[in-house]
Amino acid sequence: MKQTVKTISKKDFLSFVNSLINDKTYDVVGVKAKGKHYIYDTLSDADELRLDHDVTILPPKKYFLPQYEQMMKFSLEKPFEVKETMDAQPRIIIGMHPYDIIALQQSDAVYLDEQKDDFYKMRRDSTLIIGADIQAVSERSFAASMKTNVVEDGFDLLLTNIGTQYTVTIGSDKGKKLLEKYAQTKEATAADIKKIKQARDSMTSNYKQKVKVDKKDWPSFLIANYNHALWEEHADVCMECSSCTMVCPTCFCYDVRDTVSLNMKNGERIRTWDGCMLRGFTKVGSGEVFREEVKERYRHRFFRKGNYLPQRYGFVACVGCGRCGIACLPDIADPCNLINEVAHFGKEEDTGRFFIKQEMEVGEKGIIHVPRSATVKRVDKLNDLDTLFELEMDDKKPLGHRPGQFVEVSLFGIGEAPFGISSPPTEEPVFEIMVRRIGNVTTKLSMKNPGDKVGIRGPLGNGFDVKSLEGKNIIFTSGGTGMVPMRSLINHVVDPKHRGKFKNITILYGAKRPKEIVFMNDVEQWKKAENVQCEVTVDKCDASECWGGCVGLVTTLFPKIRMDKYDSKNTIAVVIGPPVMYKFVIQCLKTMGIPDQNIIVSLERRMKCGVGKCGHCQINGIYTCKEGPVFYYHQIRHLPEAFE
Amino acid sequence: MKQKPRVAVFDFSDCEGCELEIADLEEELLDLIEIVDIVSFREVMKEHSDTYDIAIVEGSIMRPMDERRLRSIRSKAKILVALGACATMGGINKIRNQWMPDEVLHAVYGDANVKGNELFDVFKTKALKEVVPVDYNIHGCPIDRDEFKHVITSLALEKKPEIPTYPVCVECKKNENICQFELGTFCLGPLTRAGCKAICPTHNSPCEGCRGLIKKAETDCVKEVLERYKLSYEDIRRRCTMYNYGREECSVDE
Repeated sequence: MKQTVKTISKKDFLSFVNSLINDKTYDVVGVKAKGKHYIYDTLSDADELRLDHDVTILPPKKYFLPQYEQMMKFSLEKPFEVKETMDAQPRIIIGMHPYDIIALQQSDAVYLDEQKDDFYKMRRDSTLIIGADIQAVSERSFAASMKTNVVEDGFDLLLTNIGTQYTVTIGSDKGKKLLEKYAQTKEATAADIKKIKQARDSMTSNYKQKVKVDKKDWPSFLIANYNHALWEEHADVCMECSSCTMVCPTCFCYDVRDTVSLNMKNGERIRTWDGCMLRGFTKVGSGEVFREEVKERYRHRFFRKGNYLPQRYGFVACVGCGRCGIACLPDIADPCNLINEVAHFGKEEDTGRFFIKQEMEVGEKGIIHVPRSATVKRVDKLNDLDTLFELEMDDKKPLGHRPGQFVEVSLFGIGEAPFGISSPPTEEPVFEIMVRRIGNVTTKLSMKNPGDKVGIRGPLGNGFDVKSLEGKNIIFTSGGTGMVPMRSLINHVVDPKHRGKFKNITILYGAKRPKEIVFMNDVEQWKKAENVQCEVTVDKCDASECWGGCVGLVTTLFPKIRMDKYDSKNTIAVVIGPPVMYKFVIQCLKTMGIPDQNIIVSLERRMKCGVGKCGHCQINGIYTCKEGPVFYYHQIRHLPEAFE
Repeated sequence: MKQKPRVAVFDFSDCEGCELEIADLEEELLDLIEIVDIVSFREVMKEHSDTYDIAIVEGSIMRPMDERRLRSIRSKAKILVALGACATMGGINKIRNQWMPDEVLHAVYGDANVKGNELFDVFKTKALKEVVPVDYNIHGCPIDRDEFKHVITSLALEKKPEIPTYPVCVECKKNENICQFELGTFCLGPLTRAGCKAICPTHNSPCEGCRGLIKKAETDCVKEVLERYKLSYEDIRRRCTMYNYGREECSVDE
């Protein structure tokens, strides 16, 4: 596309900026000096603007995903009252370098995908970008070797210093109108346009840092070096401070928390930047941390940039700005240095090894963050720890879930947590979840009574493809609370309306102790059902506990399966349980001759946003909340982080 | 309506600055007394009651008489909250643990005869948790008012307060500060629990570690950083002495 290019004298440019400031329509943000560094900040006068900056401390992501962002306000006095926060301050950002513009296009890909982030979109739509070609190269930048030092689109206007004046490349209608309204410009001559290229070229030789591996090769290069000794070597001196992710223009993971005013009348839900270098990043309610070692977290950051996001979106999520290199105290965060240090190692072809491409039905569209109201209809205390809730959507519409999907349940003031749906699909607006009391949300939720209101987002995630089970024998194996989502599937399958479609069914269920067995009533029903074998075991049992059944891990139930009934090739095994269980159960299934593509699992991770944005539930390149939690084993068996 | 929890505020050896932070809530104090009954708070009121659910305790424990009083508070309270660095970890008061109690007494009171006087019967400084179980900590010197409010509202909502387990750098970077190391000073930010909004580095002063270290100072990464910024080990030792004397690392879950 041929872009229109204008010229503006430097004096007129300052007047242009001042008239934008004086007009007060926009928050006019530009690059300003801070000590020896630069920051983006609101301008009160055009003289403050520094277009000769090398790099800013923080990238402009702070204007699209603010450090602390109010997502919604809620009232604690009313049963259910929530209001999404939408205040779009029209803004102009002046001086964005090409690499930051490219980083913004990348965050667009994440935040404006099929499940659009309302807040991001609102800010993005109300912001104009006036980019600036680089006039000073940061010591640590390697943008030239990442080909992110020059940009052709992604801006409304782009300034290039061509000596006595700037050229202004018009990138959008909005930019064109802004210029027409506020600036004195002339048409650029052919000579002016030639100078743009000269100005850009003259900068290229100023890059001290060059990455030796072309970015298109990063995905394969990283895969080949997944077990390189350098990850650990660098992790040994890592401060785990996550400064690298904070200053990164392409690190856009976030955490969410509720705060409540001191009078306990109102509260707000805030999201804030989170960092995958922090230990708590992957921590789930039960206390499990999925990347416990610093090495794993350190490596994850590079893989996310160089392999996982490229597989998903088609771009390397590093733009060579060098900010992490500046921010990292032991200087181990800079991708350029890291890649160059490992560069003498070979490449591997299978770049998609840690990623699965999948056609998915997207559960929640439209407003993705604000929960809908639901009412507690029935409460069954299953035991000391576990409570079963029947919830009814207040809009009286069925949830529309498939077995295996989950919902995010909100208790305003406390927070939000994911729960597997334990009831089979239905046309009614009701569904069930089971709550085990372990954290803040689960503890408070356990105290709810019929008539109380909760917030629901969902159904979310990828559930079971029930059709694919038709005509098959099925072995269900679940441990602990793995029975929760499993029950949804089992009850669908054993429902007399559907039972004929499936062949022999075996249900193996292991709980820690007799009192932790959930859904005992269902278990009794399954035991009575025709052509259903149901076996239950407990890990441990004190003499004081009343238990006449098996004692031992769930794997001890496998010899009881009446194998004569099973043709292993025509048998599907569904496995859901705590992380430690999978390895052993899958081994048993393999011994039975069940092929990997017949094994289906559902995994637990920290599913915070449920819509593939916040980054917490990643298992290598996949999002548990999107591609999962239900997976075919053969699709993810190669993922080192899936079953470690 | 449910009865409001009864709250009592007590202090031991400290500057009362953290209590002052509570008093400084000013008009928000009216909100505070909407959700809790304050039954004892020497710094701001005359009334006193020995019946309370939540005890908020400031200060360090220095003497046998302090221990007795703290145990008595603990026995009356359902929940005990340590308020500020002196209470949570001993803080500044632990600087004197470098010397024997006799030496300290002599340095301060010279030859004055304090023997046999219970008020001067001091042992090495202790944090509250070294004497009685502590349920929750409100860290800092002084505390952060917003964190105080968060802890109070959490207790009122019967939820566990969410206290950061990550270092000050996270908040410091969000504030877009120039790194203290780059300015040539040793900053404890990378080793110290966040939650203070990085207030010191944001006001151009290095972090002193008043919210407790969440990572050991004697590690390869610190050594590497010291070398890189040409700082001596003495810098870090000195800085850790201020709030973290005798304390290598605290559990992040505290």
